[in-house]
Order: sequence, then C-alpha cells, then structure tokens
Amino acid sequence: MTDKTLPRGTSGAPPARFDGDKALALVCVGVPLIGLVLFFLYPMAIVFLRSITTVDGEYGLSNYAEVLGSSGFWRATRHSMIMGGATTLLSVVLGFIIAHGLYRCAFRGKRLIRAVIVLPLLAPSLVQALGLIFLLGRNGVVNQLFGVEMEIYGFWGLLIANTLYALPQAVMIIGAALVLLDARTYEAAEVMGASPMRQFRDLTLPAARFGILNAAFVVFIITITDFGNAAVIGGDYSVLATEIYSQVIGQRNFNMGAVVGIMLLLPTVAAYYIERRAMRLQGRHPVNAQRFVPRFTPARDLPMAGLNLLICLAVLSVIAIVFYASFVRLWPYNMSLTLKHYDITLAGGYSSLWITIWISLAAAAGGTFLVFLLAVGLRRAPAMLAQPLQVLAAMPAAVPGMVLGLAYILTFNSTATPLYLLYGTAALIGIVNFYHYHTQAFLTVMTGFRQLPSALEEAAGSLGAGLGRVAVNIIAPFVAPMLISVFFFLFMRSMVTLSAVVFLTTPDLSVAAVTIMRLDDAGLTSQAAAFSCCVMAVVAAALLGMKAILAYLGRNAGTGSDG
Amino acid sequence: MYLTVEHATKTFGPFVALDDVSIAIEKGEFVCLLGPSGCGKTTLLRIIAGLAETDSGVVTIEGETLSNQPARKRGFGIVFQSYSLFPNMTVAENIGYGLRIRGAANDQIAARVRELLELVKLPQLADKFPSQLSGGQQQRIALARAIAVDPRVLLLDEPLSALDAKVRADLRSEIRQLQRTLGIPTLMVTHDQEEALALADKIICMNHGTVVQAGTPEDLYHRPETRFVADFMGTSNLIETDVIRRVQPDLLQTRPDAPDADYIACIRPEHIELTPDADGTATVREISFLGNLKRIELDSPLGPLLVETHGAGGFSPGDKLALGIAPEHCVWVRDDVIGAAA
Ligand SMILES: Nc1ncnc2c1ncn2[C@@H]1O[C@H](COP(=O)(O)OP(=O)(O)OP(=O)(O)O)[C@@H](O)[C@H]1O
Ligand SMILES: [Mg+2]
Repeated sequence: MTDKTLPRGTSGAPPARFDGDKALALVCVGVPLIGLVLFFLYPMAIVFLRSITTVDGEYGLSNYAEVLGSSGFWRATRHSMIMGGATTLLSVVLGFIIAHGLYRCAFRGKRLIRAVIVLPLLAPSLVQALGLIFLLGRNGVVNQLFGVEMEIYGFWGLLIANTLYALPQAVMIIGAALVLLDARTYEAAEVMGASPMRQFRDLTLPAARFGILNAAFVVFIITITDFGNAAVIGGDYSVLATEIYSQVIGQRNFNMGAVVGIMLLLPTVAAYYIERRAMRLQGRHPVNAQRFVPRFTPARDLPMAGLNLLICLAVLSVIAIVFYASFVRLWPYNMSLTLKHYDITLAGGYSSLWITIWISLAAAAGGTFLVFLLAVGLRRAPAMLAQPLQVLAAMPAAVPGMVLGLAYILTFNSTATPLYLLYGTAALIGIVNFYHYHTQAFLTVMTGFRQLPSALEEAAGSLGAGLGRVAVNIIAPFVAPMLISVFFFLFMRSMVTLSAVVFLTTPDLSVAAVTIMRLDDAGLTSQAAAFSCCVMAVVAAALLGMKAILAYLGRNAGTGSDG
Repeated sequence: MYLTVEHATKTFGPFVALDDVSIAIEKGEFVCLLGPSGCGKTTLLRIIAGLAETDSGVVTIEGETLSNQPARKRGFGIVFQSYSLFPNMTVAENIGYGLRIRGAANDQIAARVRELLELVKLPQLADKFPSQLSGGQQQRIALARAIAVDPRVLLLDEPLSALDAKVRADLRSEIRQLQRTLGIPTLMVTHDQEEALALADKIICMNHGTVVQAGTPEDLYHRPETRFVADFMGTSNLIETDVIRRVQPDLLQTRPDAPDADYIACIRPEHIELTPDADGTATVREISFLGNLKRIELDSPLGPLLVETHGAGGFSPGDKLALGIAPEHCVWVRDDVIGAAA
C-alpha cells in the first residue's frame, strides 16, 4: 500500500472498501455456487452412482446390461426417438408457418394469434392430452357428432398433444430469427428485382436457418423429456419418460430407473449441446435495425392467414374443450352444465393448488434472487472462476425433469446426510423447480446484464460507489424488467411442471399437476378438467400481471431499453 | 426531363410528410436531396423507388408513368445507410444477385462481379461475408451491387452518414467519379450540406415536406431565396431590414419591394472586407484559426458579425476595423423562419 498502488486512480478509495467489494463478490458467487453443487451436481452424481450400483450393493455395470438387454427398454427408446423426430418435424413446420405469418405477412388479428399460441404454456402438458381425449376420444365431440371413431391413445394422440405443447417454443425461436433480418435487406432485394417468392427463398429461409435448427433441438428435448402427455394419452406407446416412471413407481426399482434416466440424459445432453452451438452462429440484432413492415400481398397473405387461423383453432379448441368439459354434468351422456366438478372429491381437494401457488412464489422469489446474485458476482469474479461457473449454471437445462426428480428422491430420501430433513417438504419441491429451470432464468438475467452499458457502471464506480451500491442503485433498476420476467417465468413453470415433481410428492403433499394426473387416473376426468382450469386461471393471471408490470416499468423508464 | 416527381403528397395519419413536392432529374445528372432530419427526404426517395405509395402525384421516367409498377419492375438501384447487404451471401453473390435474378449465365455474372469489384477497388473481398467487412467496405459493395444491373436511376439514402470522416471523404469522391464515368442519373439523400455542395450537379433543398429551393450548388450558396436555405447552406450573417437602413442604406438597392418583415439581408462571411482603422466602427471580439483561413467574430453597428479571411491581416481582439460590404454581395432572402427574429 505504498506509491506502487497510486496509479490505480485518484479517487483515494480506502483499501478497506476494496476488500469489502471482494468479499461481497465472493458471497454473490458463493451462495448460488453452493446451491448448484448441493442441489444439482450432487444429486446428479448420486443418480449416476445408483445406476452402477448392483443388487448386492457393489459397483458394476450389471444394471446397464440388464436394461440394454431388455426389449422393453429398446422399444421405449425407439418410441421416444420416433416421437421426438415426428413432433419436431410437425412443430417446426407449423411453428414456421405461424412465425412467418406473424412477422412476414400482412393480415389482421396478429395479437389474437400471439395470445392463442401461448395458451399451451399456461397449463401442465397433460392438459393437451386431456383436451384431445374430450375432442377425439371414444366419447369425444368428433365421435359424438360425426360417428368417426379413432384410436386416440397411442402414437397419434401423443404426437398431436406433444406438437401442440411444443408449438409456442417453436414459434418464439423461429420468430426471433426472422425478425433479425433488416427491412432494408428486403427493400434492396425488391428494388433489385427479386419476386416475393425469391425473397422468401434467398433471404427469409437462410435467415431462419439457425432459428429452425434451434427450434428443432428445443422441441426434440421438450418432447422426449415430457411425461404428462405420455402418461395420459400415450396408452401402450411406452416412451423413456414413462419407462422411468414405471421402473421407479411401478416396480420400486430405483437403480434401474437411474439407468433409464441416464440413457434419457444422453440424447438430451447431445441435443442441448448442439442447440447451444447453433445459437452462437445466429447473428445478433444490429442496434438501429429497421423492422420489416410487410405490405398486403393477397397471393401470399390470404393462404397464410388461413393456415394461421387453422393452427390457432386447433390449439384453441383443445384448451377450450377442457374448459367446456369441466362444466358438463356427465360427459357425454348428460351435457347439461354444472359447477359440481369444481368440488374436488379426491382427498386433499384444492389444498394442492394452494400449496403449489406458495411453492411457486417461493421458488420464483428465491430463484430470482439467486440468479441475480450469481449474475452480479460473475461480473466481478476472475475469469478462471467465472467461466466454469457459467457452464455449470447452463447445465440444468440439459437434464430432463424426470431425471432430476429421480436424482432428488435418491439423494434426499436417504438418511445418509442431514439433507434428509428436506425430504417430503414443500421446500424441496420449490428447490427442484428452481434448479429444473435454472438455466433459462440465469440466461435471461445474463442477457439483461449484457444490455447494461458498462460505461454506466464504471461511471458509478468512479463516483465512489462500491459494488453493493452499484448493484442497488444502477444495476437493479436497469435489469428490473429482466428480473420481473425471470420471477414470473419461474412462477408459471413451477405452477405447471409435472416431470420433476412427480417423484417428490407424497400422499400428504401433492402439487397441482400431480393432482390432475391422479384425478385423471381415478377416472374423474371432468374434475381433472376443472382442476386444470383453476391452474390455468392462476397462470393466466400471473402472465397478465407480468405484462402489466412490464408495461408500467417500460412507461416509467422512458429512455430505458426496449426489451 | 428524365425522371420527374409531380405534385407528390404523402401523409402518415394526420402528419404531412410530403406536401405537393415536384422535382426533376436530367439524364446523367447527380442530384442531391438536402434537408434537415425528418423533412421527408427518405420518404420521397422511397416513393421514387416504389417502396412506398403516394397519396397523390405521379412519378414518371422518360415520360412513362410509374405509379402502377412495383419496385422490382422499375430497374433502379438503391443503397441505404447500412444493413442492406444480404448477410447470408458472399460479397460476390451479393453483387451478382441482380444479374442472377435476371437469369444471366454464371460466367457472365462472374465477369461482371470481377469488373465491379475492381471498380470499387475491393477485388480481394469476393468471398467474404458482409459481417466480415468494415462499414466503408460494406457501402462500396452495396454500391457495386446497385450498379451491377445498369440501373436506370441510382438512389442513395445517406450512404455515407454512418462512416467516419476520412472514409466518408474518400468514398464521396469515388461515388462522384463513378457516377461521372457511368453517367447513371443519381439521386442522393443527405443532410450534410458540404457533401451536397461537393457532389451535386443540382441540389434540391427541402424543409417540412416541401421543396424550398432547387438549383446548382452555386445558386443555393450564393443566391439563397429564403432564410432557411441561407442558414442551412453554410454560415451567413442575417441582418434585419431596419438595421441595414440605419447603418448601410446602399445595401437596400437590391431589396425587393416588400414589407420590412418579409425580407432579411444575407451576407456570407467571406464577402465582408476588413481594413484596420482606428476610427472604425467594428471591434474584434474573437479570432479562431482554421488552417487555411481565419474566422473573426466582430461587434459592429450591424450587430455581431462573422467574417472569414484568408491569410494576411494580423488582427487581435480589441482592434478597431472598418467594414466593406459590396451591394452585390448582399442577398435579400425571404424570412421563412417563423418566430426567430435575429
Ligand atoms: N411509416 C411511417 N409512419 C409514420 N410516420 C412516418 C413514417 N415514415 C416516416 N414518417 C415521418 O415522416 C417524416 C419524414 O420522414 P423521412 O424518413 O422521410 O425523413 P428524412 O428527411 O429522411 O429524415 P432523416 O434525415 O432523419 O433520415 C418524419 O417526421 C417521420 O417521422
Ligand atoms: Mg432519411
């Protein structure tokens, strides 16, 4: 602390403050890091160890040998891959049609399309399956009206349900790629003489290339890891997710479940890795780009509007029928309307809904706080710490919810460590929800931080504000919209997720999505529909609340970013 | 008249972006559309290109009306300020795109691309992608792409304004040279009067969606018709009629017969002669040295004045000077700037 340190600056900051900064940065990074190790890395290690633990408690590969030798496993794997591929193809094609309609065509009602397209995100995935059964099942509307009976349980039903469920993601990802192309690029092509068809082929398609690739991998992951639809409408069409469930819940064979889990992890990790690579290849939005405003072209816009309408009707009808069915006295024999199904007769009634709301609020608040801490800390942490941490923080997205849930039950249902205390508590469900969606939350905050001009932060720093002050006064207001988004994202996902929590609920502690599944299992389909509607109402309210808050912040920010 | 716009009007809701605008471009002419931000330059250019429609008015080329022709049928070339190269095509593919659309043979396209890359002095970049180029290089390629198909008219919307000063100056003279050799009628939008003066055969000066004055650069600089043009085209001393009448009535000779408030005197800084004179009426307030010339701020009976002189004359602040203004150098301009009396 002599002359050598003088060139640092003339601010004359006392050395003590400098250390305080360091300590704060360490805390910022340390707390989320401990969380990630304890609630992500450790359980994942356990699941791996259990997969190689033989019946007599030794380590060995006999579980793998058994699983790989069973025809049931290969059938489920084949089904998962075929289902993943088919859903991907269908969702990406339909998603492209919607995104192209929204961003590259001129017709009215786009707000409506946007609203309808997000509907599947408001409900547990199995609601798609439920709706399809009411629509196309043996007692479904179509059969009742037209006498067309089809076998909805199995491949086709699952394909449609999965496609509807993955569609919003496909639309968002492809749409984001489409808007990257500047309006002036199209205008230049237009003036050069390119016909609309050529512009589509030479400009739009190449621009959407990485978006399409990205969407394909995301949809593939969503599909092969989803449990709800497969459980409700899959019928005999077993897939890996249902296979894990039957190993663990049906046969109480945890180690075999772990093996299947690891096998499901492989394609997911591969797809996730490729998706991240593809992401990087896609360009960033130029700063003062001009938005493309399509002009009405009947030959293009009328067919596109028709297709968009059809797809939206399909999405809407599946959700709407669930809503309608929840009021029908005795589907399909007595179609008079009643509220009686909202009186849930299953043990516990609505208690699981209230618990789920509390869990979701806690997961959202705690999770937002933790990813914010992590993002703040990462800005100050040395590169050799920051880089591996970023990789770690991005890893949970590659882990299927079923596998994470299984890892949790293996880890926390063992009396070996004090972590056992968490078993069977609502807290653990909140925790699994947060780590299940950790990556998306983290990446959202990081994106928000990237928009923070570092000049602003430096200016505050040179005014003598320490890291703590900088975080509260400068960073927080700037990324507040991001944090709001993360909070509501975590809340809404926690409200509807099924795969990660299905193993962690107990007879005394259930969550909404599991209750819906149990109601459906018990043959109380109308009550399942009613309960689904309640969940959708809560999530829809949250979504509207988020929009309102963001709009309010946006108005007050004035010159702020236009996220 | 090669290309004309007649009585074009364009509104966006209640906002009038173009108000009865008529312009003309001769064959081979380089025309600059000059005006402050938001005056409707881009709107006019887009209407000519066919990228936007007029509410009323027509665009004609060689006497033929273009109103019902979509942009892609017009055979024009266009260069925007930035971000208009096709990001997923190489430089060569970008330049050859227009020819490819027209179904030209591959070797023919390749030859033309080579020729154009030579012309814009970037032959080594053929296989690069736009994102790998600097701003100046991108604009050169965009220019090459626009002229590749021998357009009937070349439209440039502030092609230089996103570049830094040195690159801008280089590219400016190259555009001029290129246009001269190829003889393509060119309309360039700019809000930089220096650029317009340096490049244009004709300048069309716009304000608030109307054409204020059109003419050669000399016309607009030496014979501005309105206060807006005098102000916009370089610096000038603007002096009210009653001050002139009191201080130097001989300058009133050239004044049109109209009420005092309608016209105002415009005297360019280089047209005021200074002679050291202990009994002079003007006092030097400040001098700035601008390399080849000096800019001198004076206090005088005419009010504060700005004078530019070359080399000689070692004045210093506080010196008394006599002013010499020849009547032919006093231009009377219509006072079209509302509520801004000097
Ligand atoms: N699509 C549009 N909708 C509404 N207003 C518009 C639209 N396009 C242009 N305007 C308005 O018309 C006016 C003229 O716009 P224009 O782009 O022609 O200006 P400009 O002279 O090119 O300005 P600049 O030098 O800033 O590019 C502006 O006030 C602008 O806000
Ligand atoms: Mg403009």
